[in-house]
Amino acid sequence: MDIMHREQCLRKIQELEFAVIELNLYLDTHPTHQQALMDYNKLTQELMNAKIMYERQFGPLTNFGYAPSQYPWQWIESPWPWENEHTCKEDMSCGSMKRN
Amino acid sequence: MWIYEKKLEYPVKVDSCNPTLAAMILEQFGGPDGELSAGIRYLTQRWTMPTNQAKAILTDIGTEELVP
Repeated sequence: MDIMHREQCLRKIQELEFAVIELNLYLDTHPTHQQALMDYNKLTQELMNAKIMYERQFGPLTNFGYAPSQYPWQWIESPWPWENEHTCKEDMSCGSMKRN
Repeated sequence: MWIYEKKLEYPVKVDSCNPTLAAMILEQFGGPDGELSAGIRYLTQRWTMPTNQAKAILTDIGTEELVP
């Protein structure tokens, strides 16, 4: 089901991003730790790829020139991160179900 | 400058409506001594830090605290 797939892809990104953020903070105070730096770069590459794959299928994760959009302008599309089945109005304008 | 990522940091599942809890959580974030308050302090105090490490740490933690 499409929603599950989207959530799975997003989960991968969330996992990679968590690791990357923690490594970033660690490196801020340990800039000469070579292994940490190598790990950071390796995960960053994986993260970038995961995001590109996600965006290709589900639309942009960032705006202001950081990611491209298909037509019509995708940035405004639902779901926004705070929307779920409870916050969805009757007219289904929050389109968690919308994609394909 | 900051960029906003249109996703949550962690997956969240909400199964019941609890306005009292919601108010408490929001107060933790935006109230006195909340994360938002602390985050703004980090972001404004980093400019006077003497070391690059301190500038970086305050910038990064401030950034993390900023987006609910």
